[in-house]
Amino acid sequence: MALKKLSKEKVGEALAELSKFRLIAPAKSDDVVVFKQISDPAEAYLEYGNSTVPPKKFAFPQTETLFRFVTGSPDLTAKNVEEEGTTVIFGLRPCDARAMAIVDKLFSWDFDDPYYLKRRELTTLVGMACVEPPSVNCFCTSLGGSPFGTEGLDLLLTDMGDYYLVEALTDKGEKLEETLSSQLEDAPADDEKKAKDMAAASEGKIRRSINTEGIPEKLPDLWENGLWKKVSAACLGCGICTFLCPTCHCFDIQDEVEESGEGRRCRMWDSCMFEEYTVHASGHNPRPTRKERTRNRINHKYSYYPAHFDVIACVGCGRCINLCPVNIDILEILDQVVDA
Amino acid sequence: MVDVNKLREKAREVISREDVRELIGYRPGTYGFRARPAFVMGPDDTGELIFTPACVNNLASYIVLEEKLPVKRGEEPDLRKVAVMVKGCDSRALVQQMEEKAYDRDRILVLGIPCRGVVDMAKVQAKYPDVLEMGEIALEGDKFVLSFNGTKEEVPREELVADKCLRCRYPTPLVYDELLDEEVERFADDDFADVAELEKRAADDKWAYWEEKFSRCIRCYSCRNVCPMCYCEDCVLDRLQPQWMRRSVDISENTAYHISRAYHLAGRCIQCGECQRVCPVDIPLMELNRKFYKDVEDLYDYEPGTNVENPPLLSTFKVEDKEDFIM
Amino acid sequence: MAENKDFEPNIVAFLCNWCSYAGADLAGTSRITYPSNVRVIRVMCSGRVNPLFVMNALQQGADGVLISGCHPGDCHYMHGNYYARRRFNLMRNFLEYLGVEPERVRMSWVSASEGAKWKEVIEEVSEGIKKVGPMDQFKRRQLNW
Repeated sequence: MALKKLSKEKVGEALAELSKFRLIAPAKSDDVVVFKQISDPAEAYLEYGNSTVPPKKFAFPQTETLFRFVTGSPDLTAKNVEEEGTTVIFGLRPCDARAMAIVDKLFSWDFDDPYYLKRRELTTLVGMACVEPPSVNCFCTSLGGSPFGTEGLDLLLTDMGDYYLVEALTDKGEKLEETLSSQLEDAPADDEKKAKDMAAASEGKIRRSINTEGIPEKLPDLWENGLWKKVSAACLGCGICTFLCPTCHCFDIQDEVEESGEGRRCRMWDSCMFEEYTVHASGHNPRPTRKERTRNRINHKYSYYPAHFDVIACVGCGRCINLCPVNIDILEILDQVVDA
Repeated sequence: MVDVNKLREKAREVISREDVRELIGYRPGTYGFRARPAFVMGPDDTGELIFTPACVNNLASYIVLEEKLPVKRGEEPDLRKVAVMVKGCDSRALVQQMEEKAYDRDRILVLGIPCRGVVDMAKVQAKYPDVLEMGEIALEGDKFVLSFNGTKEEVPREELVADKCLRCRYPTPLVYDELLDEEVERFADDDFADVAELEKRAADDKWAYWEEKFSRCIRCYSCRNVCPMCYCEDCVLDRLQPQWMRRSVDISENTAYHISRAYHLAGRCIQCGECQRVCPVDIPLMELNRKFYKDVEDLYDYEPGTNVENPPLLSTFKVEDKEDFIM
Repeated sequence: MAENKDFEPNIVAFLCNWCSYAGADLAGTSRITYPSNVRVIRVMCSGRVNPLFVMNALQQGADGVLISGCHPGDCHYMHGNYYARRRFNLMRNFLEYLGVEPERVRMSWVSASEGAKWKEVIEEVSEGIKKVGPMDQFKRRQLNW
């Protein structure tokens, strides 16, 4: 496929063109970078490292209505995801796109989740390669990703200084290129090689790593190991590491009913680090302490998920390390798993 | 500055005591300038302990965060003391917990650390985003000295110090069994200028300000969990019957959450600033807590966490309390 | 917020069983007319009113909330109203700090013999809320339903 370029002066124009879809882009809320729906191209903030909250919420919303009802009436109105329309997520990082590709496997496993899959079908992912790794705690290369990775993406942009190099990766990506045909130009011939060199340079700057070989097989044997007590001692039991993880996908389903009798059934993010996540109606909790919950988090990512789907449910974005209030470091835990 | 050898020696002595089960202190983190909580179970674990301006965590939270599983038949509960290292601000959390009769004084052994200020790790991270190998921070006079990768850099104290330390009223712990360093005189005071500034704005302005912040909230509840004063066994947030705050995330429920979180800390918040520190989306939670703190001080002349003998603010009253707002 | 002439506010009033509820009842039996915007919820004591009630009422569609109890010294349970006084002084200030107009959360002392005062209180509360308009800061919105 021929590479294209998008000059930085035309980014605003391109975003304006894309805002005929539901356009999601990184933007600033005070000093925090968040992905949100934008209507004005000036809102987009593309010179960012990575967003605090991953863009997964636009495939798997934190709160999603499944259907509406009126108490006493047998009629239900299911939510029609198509009403949301075509969505373009512009400028997400390759790790977050790869995470969506990983989570897709879960939502199309033994049951095809109509809400999630429909939304994914309607979404085009426009990635932004990491010319510099966004944080010291990035370790995507240890998990088969790359700062220039393309898995899950439809289109990849690379910042070449004055312009973005545009590479279409899928049919959806090509379609989007067509939409932007008046903003795109042909890229210089040597850019493909230049981008490859940049990718290698960026990969070389990733400083943290873990050799994951053997970890999925080893974890079940460490069930009763003393390391879990140690690594979880400082854990507060908050939801930062899971809510901000691009691959975490646990949810709870609750009904919300108004006084009028109108109600909705919705699903919302849940976290295995919360105490009430596993509490039974009897009051019994099979994961009574933070030790069991931490063990579950690591096992789910590095053992159960690969057992079902042949891929580790971690993309090495480093958010859980960067944002943990008590510096619980997944790489340190994995090192201890390897050494145990 | 606390001499680290003295600190470890003292910790060794304390954890060797028969009536002490566990010692909670600080140890170096896993990258950059971080420090993290350390849980010392025996004298051999004391070698890693430190105290530096990177030791931002309020360890008083762990006293009430402890998970008490049912004691097995035939076993006795372990009633030995938990030793905990606290800075001035953290010690007030212990005082407030004891004021509320969360536990008895003789269940804890307090190692007080007089403190001239800790860093704001977010500011350090922003200034030195590329430091991965363990670095060290020390406070020398009015400068932080940061050593990393074989180099040393001096940074003025005001540039990296946590905001709460600039208005710290109690640098020396208010409760302790042992003090690990010389007492520090009060070096700052709090005028609540930030709260007063916000109070003056028009209602629409205020709401626009908070709406932006609350709409970012992802309800990870880290602000609740890290708080040394949030220790209800049955939290109103987790309850389903009645469900005061729905789990759905929108501006209404988020606002409800932040109102109830802040209100539950009215007359209880001791200004350790942990909630704001841990918030991943930078909601200025202390501005909420400080509003209550200021009002409580102005209206009822009450300062939480300063005297174990005080009755909790909202479980008491004075006949002459102000009522100019009542019709 | 712009004033709307046709706006009729929803006001939720938490009245203590012993004084304010009886006061409102007296207003009724004495045929005193007062604005009909108020929905009364009887509680045993103003000290029973949890600040969460106020917040929840505002979420569910109330434009304003009134808490009313016995005059200081007259509480059927000795001190319930004193506790309530502290609680709602702080609550009111705090909501104002967030940008919720202070007119929306009011407190009054109305005794069993003060039917006329009840009328005045309701008139004042109702006027105040009419002035600031509908509560739309954090009412549960039906947007994403």
